[in-house]
Amino acid sequence: MASAANAPLATGSASLLMQLLRQLSWRELLHHPWRNAAAVAAVMLGVALAFSVHLINASALSEFSQAVRSVNGQPDLELRAVQGSFDEAVFSRVANHPDVAAASPMLELSSYAVSGSAPRVGLRVLGLDALVVAQLAPALIPVPDAGADRLALFALGSVFLNPAARQSLQDRSFKLQSGLQLLDVSVAGSVSAGGAPLAVMDIGAAQELFGRLGQLSRIDVRLQPGIDRAAFIASLQLPAGITAAEPGDAAQRVSNLSRAYRVNLTVLALVALFTGAFLVFSVLSLSVAKRAQQFALLGVLGLTGRERLLVVLAESGLLGIAGSLAGIALGTGLAALALRLLGGDLGGGYFAGVAPSLQWSTLAALTYGALGTAAALVGGWWPARAAQKLPPAQTLKGLGAAPGAGKGHWLSIILIALSGLLALTPPVFGIPLAAYLSVALLLVGGITALPWLITLLYDRASPWVAHRLLPLLAVERARRVRESAAVAVSGVVASLSLAVALTVMVASFRDSVTHWLDVVLPADLYMRTAPPSGSSSSAGDTVYFTADFVDAIARVTGVSRVSTLRTTALLLDADRPAVALIARDLGDPASTLPMVGRALPVPAGQVGIYVSEAMVDLYGAQPGSQFTRLAPSFSQSFNGLAQANRTPVATDSVASQLPGSSTVFFVAGVWRDYARQFGAITLDKKDFERLSGDQRVNDLAIWLDAGATSEDVEQAVRRTADQLSGAGALIEFASTRQIRSISLKIFDRSFAVTYWLQGVAIAIGLFGVAASFSAQVLARRKEFGLLAHLGLTRRQILTVVAGEGAAWTLIGSVAGLLLGLAVALVLVHVVNPQSFHWTMDLVVPWMRLLGLFAAVVVAGTLTAWLAGRSAAHQDAVLAVKEDW
Amino acid sequence: MNLKIADLGKKYGDSVVFSRVSLDVAAGEFVAIVGESGVGKSTLLNCMAGLDSWDEGTVHLMGSDLGTLPDDQRALLRRQHVGFVFQAFHVLPHLDVAQNVALPLLLLGRPDDDRVQAMLDAVGLHGLGVRLPQQLSGGQLQRVAIARALVHRPAVLLADEPTGNLDPGTAAKVMDALVAQTREHGASLVLVTHSEAAAARADRVLHLNSHGISG
Repeated sequence: MASAANAPLATGSASLLMQLLRQLSWRELLHHPWRNAAAVAAVMLGVALAFSVHLINASALSEFSQAVRSVNGQPDLELRAVQGSFDEAVFSRVANHPDVAAASPMLELSSYAVSGSAPRVGLRVLGLDALVVAQLAPALIPVPDAGADRLALFALGSVFLNPAARQSLQDRSFKLQSGLQLLDVSVAGSVSAGGAPLAVMDIGAAQELFGRLGQLSRIDVRLQPGIDRAAFIASLQLPAGITAAEPGDAAQRVSNLSRAYRVNLTVLALVALFTGAFLVFSVLSLSVAKRAQQFALLGVLGLTGRERLLVVLAESGLLGIAGSLAGIALGTGLAALALRLLGGDLGGGYFAGVAPSLQWSTLAALTYGALGTAAALVGGWWPARAAQKLPPAQTLKGLGAAPGAGKGHWLSIILIALSGLLALTPPVFGIPLAAYLSVALLLVGGITALPWLITLLYDRASPWVAHRLLPLLAVERARRVRESAAVAVSGVVASLSLAVALTVMVASFRDSVTHWLDVVLPADLYMRTAPPSGSSSSAGDTVYFTADFVDAIARVTGVSRVSTLRTTALLLDADRPAVALIARDLGDPASTLPMVGRALPVPAGQVGIYVSEAMVDLYGAQPGSQFTRLAPSFSQSFNGLAQANRTPVATDSVASQLPGSSTVFFVAGVWRDYARQFGAITLDKKDFERLSGDQRVNDLAIWLDAGATSEDVEQAVRRTADQLSGAGALIEFASTRQIRSISLKIFDRSFAVTYWLQGVAIAIGLFGVAASFSAQVLARRKEFGLLAHLGLTRRQILTVVAGEGAAWTLIGSVAGLLLGLAVALVLVHVVNPQSFHWTMDLVVPWMRLLGLFAAVVVAGTLTAWLAGRSAAHQDAVLAVKEDW
Repeated sequence: MNLKIADLGKKYGDSVVFSRVSLDVAAGEFVAIVGESGVGKSTLLNCMAGLDSWDEGTVHLMGSDLGTLPDDQRALLRRQHVGFVFQAFHVLPHLDVAQNVALPLLLLGRPDDDRVQAMLDAVGLHGLGVRLPQQLSGGQLQRVAIARALVHRPAVLLADEPTGNLDPGTAAKVMDALVAQTREHGASLVLVTHSEAAAARADRVLHLNSHGISG
């Protein structure tokens, strides 16, 4: 027969529960509105942050996908150049293939529009065939302005702008940058495609204008009905420099590449919800302790333990629902505001330039609302269990429950061991899910081990304080009621461990970034002509310095030497973002690159490449191995560039004769790259130019002569640029100091939110200490009354409470510090490499951590002392008079 | 005199609890105070210990005028010279029996384990020093309270209904222990009680009412 305590609530009991909520809970709520409001606010903040991050990301992704769809249209296949462009001879083969219903050739370029004295505007230029594009991408059909010549469609300098470009470029004519040249164009009409600024022009005109005759960067294909795509692709025998992608891959790629960043942001937001659960826990623990006599009396009158549990759980659920509803509303508002003020980009740079509208989702709202309510229920579970397990008679006598047996440390050990195993698990879909679970298990395991730790420590301390009253009272209470002590300081443990982990992670990252900047910025001055852009842009092929220009700069007075950097995008895998191919003067890679490990000697006859850590993770480019994926891509990719540099034009039919096709690329080392998380390959400039014929340069590092100033050299360089191409104004300079300063400022701004989170977490942890001590003090008012009868002064009673606060917070802080360091190890060595494919050196800022530790211990002690003041104010006579 | 009270009066607002209470308690004397519920017996006891305030009159404990002393001085005087036994036992739940008994000695900075054991033996709790309060009966808890009240050899023992929560048989045994130990220590005992049997053991029985106290 089931016991009454375990029987489910019958209909009558449900109405009893409602009555109890009205009579007991509602009065408690009215009595302490601010305390309960704090719990609701904490849940609200957690839900609001997580929900707004979700809404912003979802809105940005949706907008980006729509923009991609409108520009790319709805072809069955896209044939794309692995790098830059490919020979247009491929087009006729594709267009004449019997399986093809329609094929649309495109030349896609990234450039900058210059209009008057306004800042340059990043502009995507699409050269297309207006006669066939309608079948595949209607949003790209050029529509001439009223009164414009219809033949303007094919005119050399006519462009058709999308709405975003129309908004950015008000003038009817402007200039497009190619190298350091400015090309005149005029606006002849518009296209309806959404997204970032876009200019459409005739493909022939685009090829001629940008010197890309005979080159394409993309062919959109519509197949005949019933044709198998894979078989068609195989039948094309595409050269290695061309890859076939399914439509929608681009949107999916952006979704994939931003996923780890979005998940990390969401996890950070969920930390706020975690602290919200702790606040609910603290508030309800205090509330249950205050109402212990009420619950005990109701228990004596026949209220079962299960009913007491349900009352407290219902209270936590109501707090959670109220917080979640408010959080959903606040989150929606925050997301709308952020989208209006910041666009869709939350700092990762993945959605820069996207201006999405809010995409509200009922399902997401319900999910995050449920998460908030669940967090509150989890926070309310322990106080509810305390109310359930409360021994009515003992409680009425003021003796409370008998001490626990102190078992259960095996569970903690198992959880911590499991956490260690999970930390060794690879990421799931590029997300460090196992690592996050590892952190959660580490925290839970550590917190559940607290009673054991307290017993271990204070059992040994007990004999030392046996004859000293005040320490005796503090230590004996801590060890006899270790479960309560553990509960009271669990907030401190959780918050301090998070604070320590974030502090160590940020310090390690900052230190590594600082060292990285030291290595990657060896020169005095840097110059470029393409402004910094989002990761998806590749204007480096359109906007560049020529070799002649570089030679001229090297001869400028005050310039000691120059070093060049050529960066171009290489699409090694259609499912992944392009990697950066960087050609520069390497010299000794051990000193010119921020190497991870040593540089290996390059075997004779092979070309040494140095890959970023992401290349090892994503493409398996292990040091000491040959990177075979590069050779075919290399041979095919630069044929168009070679043509641009007046070298013989290569076609797919002569691919095997190209220099790069037989080249063996040897991975001679791995370097750390904090600028590109999806991979970068560096090779020596001489090798690159020999293999590609591409002598273009994107960045110049300049070492100054002794005595020369940056300002003088900048002016001299601009004068030289004006003399050569009239493009002095298109050059941008930055000193090493400026770049370092800006980089570290951006870093600090990006991580400022973590300091705010640490502050909130610690405040909530201390609130937990205050609530627990208030609850303890209330439950122990008879004890303090007795001590007053025995002759303890008010100061001594306060000292007892503060001493207990110190003893408990100390052990909580030690546990928090150790757990935090363990969590930091997971964040630094697992979460970061799995999320962003870069490593960092672990740096433990001991002084800062000890300061944090001491501050928490002092604050915890002070908090306990403040809570104890109310006890000392209690009338000792009244306290002992409350008999049963 | 260990305790000397002169013309003591106590009011709550306009309501008089007691007035013109005068009482001398000599060393080793056992005085019982009886009276109806609500006449202020416990309040009077608390005034004797300097735990409650009064509106008129004086209380001298071991020669010190409690009315002139600040709270901390009263606490120090109480620590040195007073022992308490309550109706509700009042032991600290997280200390074991021996630690509870040792509290007054520790407060005075005179830890003495032998003395604690001797007191436990004296009240019939031999071998129970390591137990926690939750593991004892009501009668045993009150014996713990008696041992604690006398362990530091106070001059005055104040007992407020010490047998009020006990059955008659246990109450008699507890009273035996209380009186025997008080006599042995030569302390003055002031007992507030409703129990005629307990009061009958006293050297003097005083009746308290709102007009004063009478023998």
